[in-house]
Amino acid sequence: MKLQTKNLNLFSKTTLRHWKREPKNTLLLITVLALGVGVFLSIRLANRAAVSGFTLFTDSIAGESDFIVRAPIGDLPVSILPEIRDALGPLPVGIHPIIETTAARTAKTEASLYRLVGVDLVSLNNAVYLEAKSDHSKTSPPSNQPFDVKLGDSRLVLIGETMAASEGLKVGDVLPLILDDRRIELEISAILPNNPLRASIPENLILFDLPGLQKLIGKPDKISRVELKIPPGEDRQRILAETKKRLSEIAETQFAIDTPSNRESSAEQMTAAFRLNLTILSTLALIVGVYLIFQALEASVVKRRPEIAILRSLGVESWRIQRAWLFESLIIGMIGSAFGILLGYGMAQLAVGSIAMTVNTLYFENTTTAARLDSGEALFAFLFGLGSSLVAGAIPAREAAATPPSQSLKSGVRSMGLPILRKPIIGVVFVVAAIALSQLPPIRGAGDLRIPLGGYLGALFWLLGLSILAGLLFPTVRKVLMGFSSKNAPLKYAASQFRNPGGRHRLTAAGLLVAVGMAAGMAILVASFEHTLTGWIKNLLKADLYVATAGTSNIGNENLIREDTWKVVAARPEVEGVDIIRRQFIRIDGKETWLAGSVYNQNSDRRLRLIWVEKPTDPNPENLNLDLPNKTIPVWISETFGRRFSVGMDDTIELPIPDFEVTGTVKGIYADYGNERGMVVVHRDRIVTWFGDESVNNVAVYLNQGTDPETARTAFKKEFPNLVIRTNEKLRNESLTIFHRTFSVTYALEAIAIFVAVAGLGMALAGLLIDRKSELTTLKEIGFTRRQIATATLWEGLGLGIVGTLGGLILSLALGHLLIFVVNRQSFGWTLDYQIPLMSLLSLGALTIATSGIVAFCVGWFGAKLRREQEG
Amino acid sequence: MNSNSTEPVLRVSNLTKAYGDRTVLSDVSFSLAAGERVGLMGTSGSGKSTLLNCLGGIDKPDSGSIEITGNFIQEKTADELCKIRRETVSTIFQFFHLLPTLSARENIELPLELIGIHIDERNERVQNLLEEIQLTHRADATPDELSGGEMQRVAIARALAPRPKLILADEPTGNLDSKTGESILDLLEALSQKHDTAMLLVTHSKAATRICSRTLKIHDGALETSN
Ligand SMILES: Nc1ncnc2c1ncn2[C@@H]1O[C@H](COP(=O)(O)OP(=O)(O)O)[C@@H](O)[C@H]1O
Ligand SMILES: [Mg+2]
Repeated sequence: MKLQTKNLNLFSKTTLRHWKREPKNTLLLITVLALGVGVFLSIRLANRAAVSGFTLFTDSIAGESDFIVRAPIGDLPVSILPEIRDALGPLPVGIHPIIETTAARTAKTEASLYRLVGVDLVSLNNAVYLEAKSDHSKTSPPSNQPFDVKLGDSRLVLIGETMAASEGLKVGDVLPLILDDRRIELEISAILPNNPLRASIPENLILFDLPGLQKLIGKPDKISRVELKIPPGEDRQRILAETKKRLSEIAETQFAIDTPSNRESSAEQMTAAFRLNLTILSTLALIVGVYLIFQALEASVVKRRPEIAILRSLGVESWRIQRAWLFESLIIGMIGSAFGILLGYGMAQLAVGSIAMTVNTLYFENTTTAARLDSGEALFAFLFGLGSSLVAGAIPAREAAATPPSQSLKSGVRSMGLPILRKPIIGVVFVVAAIALSQLPPIRGAGDLRIPLGGYLGALFWLLGLSILAGLLFPTVRKVLMGFSSKNAPLKYAASQFRNPGGRHRLTAAGLLVAVGMAAGMAILVASFEHTLTGWIKNLLKADLYVATAGTSNIGNENLIREDTWKVVAARPEVEGVDIIRRQFIRIDGKETWLAGSVYNQNSDRRLRLIWVEKPTDPNPENLNLDLPNKTIPVWISETFGRRFSVGMDDTIELPIPDFEVTGTVKGIYADYGNERGMVVVHRDRIVTWFGDESVNNVAVYLNQGTDPETARTAFKKEFPNLVIRTNEKLRNESLTIFHRTFSVTYALEAIAIFVAVAGLGMALAGLLIDRKSELTTLKEIGFTRRQIATATLWEGLGLGIVGTLGGLILSLALGHLLIFVVNRQSFGWTLDYQIPLMSLLSLGALTIATSGIVAFCVGWFGAKLRREQEG
Repeated sequence: MNSNSTEPVLRVSNLTKAYGDRTVLSDVSFSLAAGERVGLMGTSGSGKSTLLNCLGGIDKPDSGSIEITGNFIQEKTADELCKIRRETVSTIFQFFHLLPTLSARENIELPLELIGIHIDERNERVQNLLEEIQLTHRADATPDELSGGEMQRVAIARALAPRPKLILADEPTGNLDSKTGESILDLLEALSQKHDTAMLLVTHSKAATRICSRTLKIHDGALETSN
């Protein structure tokens, strides 16, 4: 007890007074910490919001459903319902059949996709999700007659409050949509209010009465899935187990049983690839944050080193001094982290929009666009800030407290900060370790997850190593600046700051290095991806016109072109031939993937051409129709499918086709950068036999020689107004647009990281100027103008910017290499060409250096007002 | 190098300054002729540094006027003040205030660069000053490698480099042992004589005023009548 009082005394006698005396410095310290924590949290939150969007709705359509029953492929027959009811007997289980499809809205240029969901509105009336508040007079129906929907009317629908607001719809409005290749008109019969207690109704959701939607899409006897819900109660666990058992007994091959947590993890797997990039980014952002925090705290220990020496010479034990420091770091850490959480929440809102857009493009659910402040993430970020600040305070305090007082007391001795930063040999060791680590094979996780741990660690060591080695650039930068400084006093003064740069300079440059390295590394990845993809698309797209249903750019589009439509297309006089493809969702080993059947143009020079990873002995697609001697059928798979399901050439795959026993043998593997789920290709005739349905997803049209594609397109459009018809060039450009959108999130996050690093640089300079206020006064006494002091700071900032940017560009070459040859290859099975986008990298570098200069000038302009304290 | 003795280098009239309701300078008037060395003595806290800061244009007086070589410095813009600080008035401090990242030579050279003196002349002047303060052999040392006396010598050279008309020295020996202090005073005397520079030497010790032709006494912000 006594000791603690003493300790607190030390704290209040020194630390608290420093804070009072130097409010600017303290504020700066807290701001830097907040910035570090904020950037880390924002990326985590935005990431989380995007991914959680997948599961939000599944969980909430019937309250939280306990089981989801669905067919392995295609729809379930309605007759499954009484079967399930019979099997469950008297068990109190709510059974909710659901039918679901997608439709596009044409009013917008980039047709957006809607989910049409048919539910049994009567049975759902009591479900929590649809509870309407009675005081919601305008938008919600009276509570005794919840939904004024004529049962089975296929045109009356309900939408959520969010969609109503964003599209300006009200009850009674007509909503035109494109369903498959038809135009339909729906009427809004009610608007469901958002219920704050539950997940909001997704913006793209249109709710039908089950029979209504069944009728509308011509599947009166089909449902997409059945959700089962067991009411709460003490018996719940037993009923859950019993339900599962009874369902499994009747499931056989006709349906699969899912639990929401299953689905959640499969959604997580689906987005794994995408989240990987975010993980890399947030980790790097974290390191930028740590550098900033270290830089700020280290500087404050350095500054108070004489005080530590005085305390030591007065006989205060060094552990007591360290403890007071830790306590100080703790308090600064807590305040800074708390502000950081607010800041991160704010920044997350900015980032999440573009993340959501990316996820929507890549996957099929529309996600929410607001990041929620998740308490777990907030706590994590808080602890991260606190931890870094403790470590950052502890290391230099320990060093200072261990230095003999005489040495620290000697006036004029400048401290050099973290010793590790001054040992290039350690940097070299880290780089060598990085190269060694990146040779390691990936670690296999659950399912088809493969974690390129060696690649990640390699990246980490690269950036630690280069952070240290970047210090070697300071003398060169100084020399270059000196070279120009013969007539320029501010430049000379700035250059002299790099004579023996301290920890603050080194850590600030390192923070910038990481941010630039990460941004440029991603730019290399994107450029390599784009280069590979452009070549791939060029090869792939050989047709003149592409016919599809609206909203195809979204991979979840389930709309089809019906037989009578596409056959008319193929029969037009200007058409030489067509490629058609029919895709079908299929679940193999519980994982969603695609089954596809194609028919190709007769002219073998003009037809879709696959790029082979493993070339088939018989590349003629027509021969996929022939059975193999071992009674299996030949299939081609995409590279991604092979990786996800661990199959290679001549391996067999069981295809879960209802009423058929089908085993495929892999006879070819092709590259497909457009699809992360993978695809199995069979002959289209088999699909027709299995599903008795000749609809297709896409038609690629080859025109007769000499026909102008634009003219043909106009003619097609006239005949099929509800289909989307693109010329080759348009589709190519669209594909690239989608690609760029996929990466838009990385651009946003890169911008945040650079912003934070440059802000960090500004704060580091502000801190340096505060420390140097006596020098600043001297400069003024010698006759420096305010502009000259600002210019000197500008040069110093430029110097830091140059060291950070040069180091960062070198780092980016290494990171790009790692991302392409280790991380991407190991986790996606994609082989990309390594491309360096020289122009982008140079402009990124120039922009960063220029911004550093501008920020530095501003800091110097305001810092010039600082004055030395009263002395003598 | 004979200057016109009718025109004073520095004329201070009725200078007053207060921090809040605490008057630090009250009605201070005096003047310095060209090349004249004058002492300003007073106990700690009597307002000496405040006065010097006003003269150097770093602080602003509440009322009264300061005239340096005919310029009323309160009427000057920030840029004009800078020019005066560069070319006409230099300051020397108790704590030296050398720039820690610059070598001795660079510290001396910096004011010359500000004025824009050609590199050849600059090098020559710096070399001469280094010789005058007898630090040629330590020219490339940074301040943390110099002793207190050496640092103050560098500061004196830096102050003299632009050939100012007036040097304001704020307790230049206050942080040095007496022997070193003596040699610094000798140096100040010799160099100000040689360069024909007027000097206001602030001190709290009688002994330091030996190099001055007369001494002003300040008490609680007011000059005691003397002369
Ligand atoms: N910035 C300031 N704010 C308030 N009081 C000040 C300030 N600067 C100086 N003083 C006060 O003015 C008086 C004169 O200070 P100063 O000129 O430094 O004295 P000297 O240099 O003679 O020791 C002192 O009492 C000091 O406390
Ligand atoms: Mg004083």
